[in-house]
Amino acid sequence: MLLYALRRLLLVVPLLLAVSLLVFALVSAFPGDPCLIKLGQHAPTPAVERCHLELGLDKPWLERYGDFLAGALRLDFGRDFFTSEDVGAVMATKLHATIELAFAALLLAWLLGTWLGTRSALKPGGWSDFLGQVLALGGTSIPVFWLGMLMIVLFGVKLEWLPFTGWTAGEIGPGVSYSTGFLFFESLFRGEWAAAGSALKHLVLPAVALATIPLAVITRMTRSAMLEELGKDYVTTARAKGLPERLVVGRHVRRNVLIPVVTITGLQLGTLLSGAVLTETVFSWPGMGTHLVQAALQRNYPVITAAMLLFTVIFVLVNLVVDVLYHLIDPRLRTPRPR
Amino acid sequence: MSARRPLLKRLLRDRGARVGLVLVLLVVLMAAVADLAPWGPKQRDGGLGEELRTPPSATHWLGTDSAGYDVFSRVLHGARLSLLTGLLAVVLSLAVGVPAGLAAGWCGGRVDGLLMRLTDVLLAFPSVVLAIAIATLFERESARSTFERVLPVIVAVSVVSVPSVARQVRASVLQVRPLEYITAARALGYPTSRILLRHVLPNCLAPILVLSTLGVGSAILTAAGLNFLGLGPEARVPEWGVMLSGAKSQITTAEQWLVLPPGLAIAATVLGFNLLGDGLRRALDPRSR
Repeated sequence: MLLYALRRLLLVVPLLLAVSLLVFALVSAFPGDPCLIKLGQHAPTPAVERCHLELGLDKPWLERYGDFLAGALRLDFGRDFFTSEDVGAVMATKLHATIELAFAALLLAWLLGTWLGTRSALKPGGWSDFLGQVLALGGTSIPVFWLGMLMIVLFGVKLEWLPFTGWTAGEIGPGVSYSTGFLFFESLFRGEWAAAGSALKHLVLPAVALATIPLAVITRMTRSAMLEELGKDYVTTARAKGLPERLVVGRHVRRNVLIPVVTITGLQLGTLLSGAVLTETVFSWPGMGTHLVQAALQRNYPVITAAMLLFTVIFVLVNLVVDVLYHLIDPRLRTPRPR
Repeated sequence: MSARRPLLKRLLRDRGARVGLVLVLLVVLMAAVADLAPWGPKQRDGGLGEELRTPPSATHWLGTDSAGYDVFSRVLHGARLSLLTGLLAVVLSLAVGVPAGLAAGWCGGRVDGLLMRLTDVLLAFPSVVLAIAIATLFERESARSTFERVLPVIVAVSVVSVPSVARQVRASVLQVRPLEYITAARALGYPTSRILLRHVLPNCLAPILVLSTLGVGSAILTAAGLNFLGLGPEARVPEWGVMLSGAKSQITTAEQWLVLPPGLAIAATVLGFNLLGDGLRRALDPRSR
């Protein structure tokens, strides 16, 4: 098991190297001089030249890539073009906000999706089956940013039930000095119940909007895996020996259904992160998505590079974890495959 | 030609496909009649400031937005841009993905290894993240026409979908390659290009057709998202994502209904292509015949 995980981890290294090369190549191919973007179009020539030296733009391309890679490994992505802040440090707080949002959305999608999928497989043609099909179609067709806006209008502006903006330390827990960007988790950890409640309220709308994407796929996958398992011999045996249906499903079927569903959930993370970029923009969520979009619009090179790299590293590593997890839950796969 | 008729018949017997076809035809109709719309896409109406925004009325069927543009006319013109975006993005991704998939599946070995590692790298990115970078890469300050302004987003969307096309084509080629009729064609001494184009490719068409139809929908969705983020054309251009981005700033005001028309248009279009693609998959699947 450990050997398998190590082997997979080793395979990820060249992939991440290739990813970093592509990110660096893309960003350095952006049109325009980064120093003119940093200093403004009418900056004096000596200042521009000094900036070129500072950013190492006079060096050969490959050497610059080497410097970038060495920096990235130390999580040093340079300084923000406009605020001069440490890009890596800012990215860390943004990352925390994104993780909290993505986690909440995934949890919601997982709970609702497996429940709905199970129900619709047990009662095909029922209301849950119909709802599952509607969700599956809607999840792939309705733009998540539009859905977010509709929810803001209905629950935020018209009914005034829930906040739709203001995920900041000052708004969530005034008086609490947060040391991370995990506003919800840290409030819980510190026992600041009012702040945690406020954070939870702020999480609802964006998390529900974001959850629709994985929800569609998880529901469909659970339903089809469930139907497949229900047709197998061991289910007939379990039923024949008089086991209550609740136990047939809960103890036998669900465990086998879990395997494909875990895999699909992991694979959904890419679309979830993509959706997070859009959802964050709609809800002004101070996460990596809004940060990346802002940086792209301003051509803030160091931030674009760092955000792209971070998004991809997370995606690749989570897929790795899911793959290893997959081997962990399915004992049939535990014997090493012959090569 | 006779082989196609049963396909169309099977397609029309499918309820989902019928709904999808109607929705797609509706969008095509919207795009076709856009020039007959009561107002031009860049024609402003009314006075200044607050007076610019008017609720739906007989002159402005869906009202006007904060810049005084007629929303109904802009939604019609948006259909044109969305269809152009979706179709062009799919054509571009096919133009790269099909040859790459053919080469990988047919040649195998190092070519296959190299091409598949390349798709691995592209698939390692969350699609929107990669698309943002590519759209930024191709953006030009000097872009004048509307087409030049939407092109970076179209290219970005097509690059993102190349890997799935290439992998699908490769998988189909691998299925066909060991079959006897291919061995026969090789034994007859046909040149590789002829075998690939006349014998291998036609047998890969079914999955490509399904993937392309679904691809138009997802291309329109991703492109609308990028335009919404502000990476596409500026606010004057009648594009659904751009219109939503404008509506976002009105969300707490009385004009919040501006959110509805462009969003509904995107959802209906994407739903249409998704239903049609799923229907095609069922109609083309030999097991369901």
